[in-house]
Amino acid sequence: MGSRPVLEVKNLTKRYGSITAVDDLSFTVERGEVFGFLGPNGAGKTTAISILSCLVQPTSGSATVCGHDVVRDSLEARRCMGVVPQEIALYPSLSARQNLLFWGRMYSVPASELGRRVDELLEVVGLADRANDRIDTYSGGMKRRINIAAGLIHRPETLFLDEPTVGIDPQTRRSILELIKSLNEDGLTILYTTHYLEGAEFLCRRVGIMDEGRLVAVGTRAELVESIGAADVITVVADNLPTDADALARGLDGIRRAVLADDRLTLEATAGSRALPRVVEQLSGAGAGITSIEVSSPNLESVFLHLTGKTLARSNEDQA
Amino acid sequence: MTFLHIAAKDLRIRLRDRNTLLLGLLLPAALTAIMGFAFSSDSGISEIPITIVGPEDADFLSEAAAGMLSRHELFDVAVSDETRAIEDVRNGHRAAAIVIPDSLFEAVSGGHSAEFVVYEDPVSSVKSSIVRTMMEQMADAGNAMSALGRSIFLTIDDVGELSDAERFALNGWMFDWMRERWEDPPIAIASSDESVREISAVSYFAPAFTVFFTLFTLLSSARSIHEERDAGTYGRLRTTPVTRPSIIAGKMLATYTQGVVQVLLLIGLSGVLFGIDWGSSPTAVAAMALVTAAGASGIAIFIAAASRTGTQTDQIGTVVVLVMSVAGGSMWPMPESFEPVSRLTFNYWAQQGFSNLVVHDSGFAGIAIPTAVILSIAAVLFAVSVLILRRD
Repeated sequence: MGSRPVLEVKNLTKRYGSITAVDDLSFTVERGEVFGFLGPNGAGKTTAISILSCLVQPTSGSATVCGHDVVRDSLEARRCMGVVPQEIALYPSLSARQNLLFWGRMYSVPASELGRRVDELLEVVGLADRANDRIDTYSGGMKRRINIAAGLIHRPETLFLDEPTVGIDPQTRRSILELIKSLNEDGLTILYTTHYLEGAEFLCRRVGIMDEGRLVAVGTRAELVESIGAADVITVVADNLPTDADALARGLDGIRRAVLADDRLTLEATAGSRALPRVVEQLSGAGAGITSIEVSSPNLESVFLHLTGKTLARSNEDQA
Repeated sequence: MTFLHIAAKDLRIRLRDRNTLLLGLLLPAALTAIMGFAFSSDSGISEIPITIVGPEDADFLSEAAAGMLSRHELFDVAVSDETRAIEDVRNGHRAAAIVIPDSLFEAVSGGHSAEFVVYEDPVSSVKSSIVRTMMEQMADAGNAMSALGRSIFLTIDDVGELSDAERFALNGWMFDWMRERWEDPPIAIASSDESVREISAVSYFAPAFTVFFTLFTLLSSARSIHEERDAGTYGRLRTTPVTRPSIIAGKMLATYTQGVVQVLLLIGLSGVLFGIDWGSSPTAVAAMALVTAAGASGIAIFIAAASRTGTQTDQIGTVVVLVMSVAGGSMWPMPESFEPVSRLTFNYWAQQGFSNLVVHDSGFAGIAIPTAVILSIAAVLFAVSVLILRRD
């Protein structure tokens, strides 16, 4: 760190007609850092990463990758970045090796070196033994790994990962996160977008919280939690929750925010364990049959809830 | 040179697609065989069965006509009465029946018109058209002889002021002279055969289906522009340092190469399976294959570029290919009156080029005009497609 940021974004805005997908975005990512964009689906994360990947032109503002402007000097910017799109952008009827060779050629990796790099990457993602199998015979997790490997074939300075763990089981998700962490430990700068808390908390040194196109907060996990004041999150799952359960809870001492989603009530409490008996009493009195209660210490979910008045899970469901 | 890698990747993917093999090679070969079998009455065109019906009072005429036509291996000639001859044509036993009018020579020498009637089997369209052409040539020769004889007769009559007996004798001489000419015509009909080689129905359908299915499979290849968009690989390509013109060039090259390989394979396959002789100039055949692939890929890429989705490419492409194929004669031969419309289609020119090679063995001279027309079509469509795709 200390050198020029790998990624510099200034007042980046993208409008589609009357819709503002990205609204005045500004942040930097230092060399060797994992920077996370956390936000629900539709928050503008993918649009932002598409602008940085030179796929979409911004309406206003600027962005540089490795010092190259993504609009004026996009060819050089593209050379130094690796992009892993949200979808599995591979050729299903080709093998993993053929896919990696192809993407390597697209980055003009010298032929003398390409084969060795492909072998190395197949080892890194743990698929050397399936290298010659067609991609369409792979599981979702294996495809995700090759999808990531394809973004690394030219040894980029920075890697953009757009929701790389979406649609896969928790165990595979964990292994993908471990893989990304190890890439970062080897010195790779990573911009990572996700709507999963787990990934952001596990990987990112700093997190930018996005909602409705805006970057509502940026900082380390500790900084963000501290910025909202230490608050626990109480999650109550119950049958027959009254429709005004969130309003009832907000009337209780120590409850700062409450969000109701189906059979789940999420509360932000200054002291969770002390507020818990009152919450239980209130909900039971209103006829709710509580099936589970969880109190967690402040985390990025609390920050998101505090800053947007929504839970990440609820926002994702709304977008879905 | 990244476009070469893109083209190679596309071709590899197409090769792994079973539909490409099915639609590109097996189906056209199968359909050519089926259509060849269905039109099997047109096969063996070297022996077209025809019946000659002569006037009841002049058997020698039908015998002479039969003898004359039998000299050509093209015809299997029989002589019969009109009723039976028509019945044979109706039953499909004979391709055509030619009825020589009563008092032919009297009518001709008297300066009156005489009308031959030709009954044709509509199923044997190719054979029937050959018989019709032959009859037109015979009529031309007959008209020439008639005009010559009539002018000789009138000249002698005017100059000599012939008596009735002399005029009768001259008429008899003229009659015998024309009969001899009829049996041994000064203008040999055989001359018309020299430019038309032995052809069969599959010789027509093999080039026709080659053109038709090449259009279809290349449409499927060009559709990959949209498939890549849907799969996200096009977006990923755009995040690499590869320029958009390189991507477009790669995809076009793949489509074109697939077209060339397909046309050449179908030509080879039809030669092996159906014994079709594509002519004595392999380089002309290869050139026609390159040109046909250029035209077909130009059309396919233009349709894909102008469409918003892969589904739209399929829908618009199917309609365009079917209309062009019907109008251009890829499905069945179109009447001559329709030719001005046929000329507006790619299929017509591609088939024209191949027909000139198969039927006339005309080499490069026979493909020059089709080549010029098809390459013009391809150049315009490629250019417009590039403009659309670059803007996209």
